[in-house]
Amino acid sequence: MKNTGVLTGGLILGNKLSAMQAAGDPVKIAVIGCGDRGTGIMNILNGMPGQFRVTSVCDVLDFRLAAAQKLNKTGALKTYTDYRKLLEDKEVEAVIVAVPLHLHYPIGADVIRSGRHLYLEKTMTYTIEQALELVALMKGRDNQVLQVGHQYRYSPLYYRVKEMINKGYLGKVTQVDCRWDRNGNWRRPVPDPALERAINWRMYKEYSGGLVAELLSHQIDFINWAFDTHPQEFFATGGIDVFKDGRETYDNVQLMLRYPDQGLIGNFGAMCGNAHDGYLFKIKGTLGTVSLLTDQGMFYPEKKLLSEKGTIDGVTGATRIVWNKEGGTPILPEPTKDGTWYAFNDFYQKIQRKELPDSNVFTGARTAISVHLANQALYSKKICGWDNGYKIG
Amino acid sequence: MKKNLLPGTVFLVLLLCAFGQQQLLRRFELKGYAQGTTYSIVYYAPDSLVSLSQTDSLLQRFDRSVSLYQPNSLICRFNRSAKGIRIDETFRVLVERVLQISRATGGLVDPTVKPLVDAWGFGVVKPGHDPGKEDVKNLLRNVGAGKIGLKGDFLYKTKPGVQLDLNGIAQGYSVDLLASLLERHHIHNYLVELGGELRVKGRKPGNGPFKVGIEGISGDDLDPAPMRKVIEPGDGAITTSGNYRKHHAAGGKQISHLMNPLTGYPVQNELISVTVYARDAITADGYDNGFMAMGLKRTLNFLSKRKDMGAYIVYRRPDGLIADTATNFFKGY
Repeated sequence: MKNTGVLTGGLILGNKLSAMQAAGDPVKIAVIGCGDRGTGIMNILNGMPGQFRVTSVCDVLDFRLAAAQKLNKTGALKTYTDYRKLLEDKEVEAVIVAVPLHLHYPIGADVIRSGRHLYLEKTMTYTIEQALELVALMKGRDNQVLQVGHQYRYSPLYYRVKEMINKGYLGKVTQVDCRWDRNGNWRRPVPDPALERAINWRMYKEYSGGLVAELLSHQIDFINWAFDTHPQEFFATGGIDVFKDGRETYDNVQLMLRYPDQGLIGNFGAMCGNAHDGYLFKIKGTLGTVSLLTDQGMFYPEKKLLSEKGTIDGVTGATRIVWNKEGGTPILPEPTKDGTWYAFNDFYQKIQRKELPDSNVFTGARTAISVHLANQALYSKKICGWDNGYKIG
Repeated sequence: MKKNLLPGTVFLVLLLCAFGQQQLLRRFELKGYAQGTTYSIVYYAPDSLVSLSQTDSLLQRFDRSVSLYQPNSLICRFNRSAKGIRIDETFRVLVERVLQISRATGGLVDPTVKPLVDAWGFGVVKPGHDPGKEDVKNLLRNVGAGKIGLKGDFLYKTKPGVQLDLNGIAQGYSVDLLASLLERHHIHNYLVELGGELRVKGRKPGNGPFKVGIEGISGDDLDPAPMRKVIEPGDGAITTSGNYRKHHAAGGKQISHLMNPLTGYPVQNELISVTVYARDAITADGYDNGFMAMGLKRTLNFLSKRKDMGAYIVYRRPDGLIADTATNFFKGY
């Protein structure tokens, strides 16, 4: 039934196509990794019954499987503790992988080899080699969709900002300022001390790329995508400065990335010792600044724009609605939904059309390599550089 | 000898005074936030005679009278009332003026337009969908300037469902009130701007006229088009009404926020924006929406008989191209 829909749909263009697909069967999807992110995604999918039906879940921790089971609205889920068993389930058409970073590649690669569509959480892979291997693995698999979970940039707000950048509304952009701060230890509660490393894997280098991979990767990825670039030089500093609690990954990091083809400097910082800025994302050009939250954004034109016509003392025009006293203008009239909703909406479309998603294995690899080189600079206290020998795309 | 010197000395002293006064005029700028938008005042005076707290409190008082965004404002209380309420001076001036303009424009300016504004999705509360034919017919039962009136300071309505929206004229009047505040403090060289409506008086020191830009109509605040014109209006008010910024899509069409109170449907004609000159901003602002509803021909005809007003009009030609035209006051720019 669904195949027929796709075939017919292929002959029709534009919005009619999406209308037809909404009538098709939902994609049967499995979740591997039922921690905060895995169950968070399940919550979103509960609101998209026309597009996805979660059929099975996998986690190494029993209490998480039980929690995931409870969360599901459409009857009993098949549960697995070994993801390879899950992949033998013929019913599964697509798989969400939301496991610790060091497992992204081995599990993700097995999902791809099994022929399923894959929604792989960010950062795409833990190492540079794994990123390149995944790119190689996807070669020739045009009917399989691999989408990487940089969900924020799927919101219409971030598409609009990319468009503003590309159309030159911001002028020449020379700096971006990004922060993702919190005031807290970034730990999850551990019911049994034996599970410390399994649950708080973000604290340990063996499994995690720390704040850079878990948080700053979103903004690094957006800059890569919006400017179609990647950093060449990586400068970084950091330490375990707030929570000396046995963790290995830094709780205070600052990156300076250089994009010579763009004449651009990227400042990316994250910490666990101050929450005032929280999420901050500013893109600064000669004509104006974009300031972004995850769901809303403002544009602040540079003051000189008005004075270009000589000295004007006032401007008459239809009333302009402003949000704040600094004269900024909202980029979109209303706040957007959670980025995950848009990301999965598009994942569904791409599965139907067998098209390359916007957050794909190539952009995912570029970002994974950027994150890895930033962490290399951070932990080795050396300036690192992009090797132009990396074969992506 | 002494006697002969006196006239010359007096002249010299007077000259110095005059010169000194000129020298003493300094530029002051107030920038604030009101009515969901920004305002700015530039004035030239010997000292900072008017402060931001004064203009802010004037505008807050104004909102308590006629803002639809304040549930306890007089206008909201009137709208909720069955028969009407006692109103204040600000509200009364606005109602008298808008009724006068309503008559002059054959009902195309109408203060009772609120049910239509709300139904078409431009009010404080947004409805889920656009109104149908029957809805519009029903809404029009509560629309019409004849359905309200003043008895002293009592503003009455003939039907409980009659509701006012003075947003088309109130902004202009608030600009006039700011200008009056400056005048009361003996400031005679100023430019007041609120939400794109302006009041100008006098000149800048060094005798330069105030220059006012007429905004481009791209409607994209993120990529503003260059100014269409830069004018030197002299003493008076300049306001603009346009459908290029505030509209929404419905049924594949762009819907204007300006309502035609006679038909009950959003205004749809060739006009994109009208910039009006008049002696005060209540007049300019009071008429500009009416001109948008009148369309090009009727507006030009209307203004040909008025010596005290002028307009600069941007419109779409039948072939789709954007054109502009101007009446007396704006000719020469």
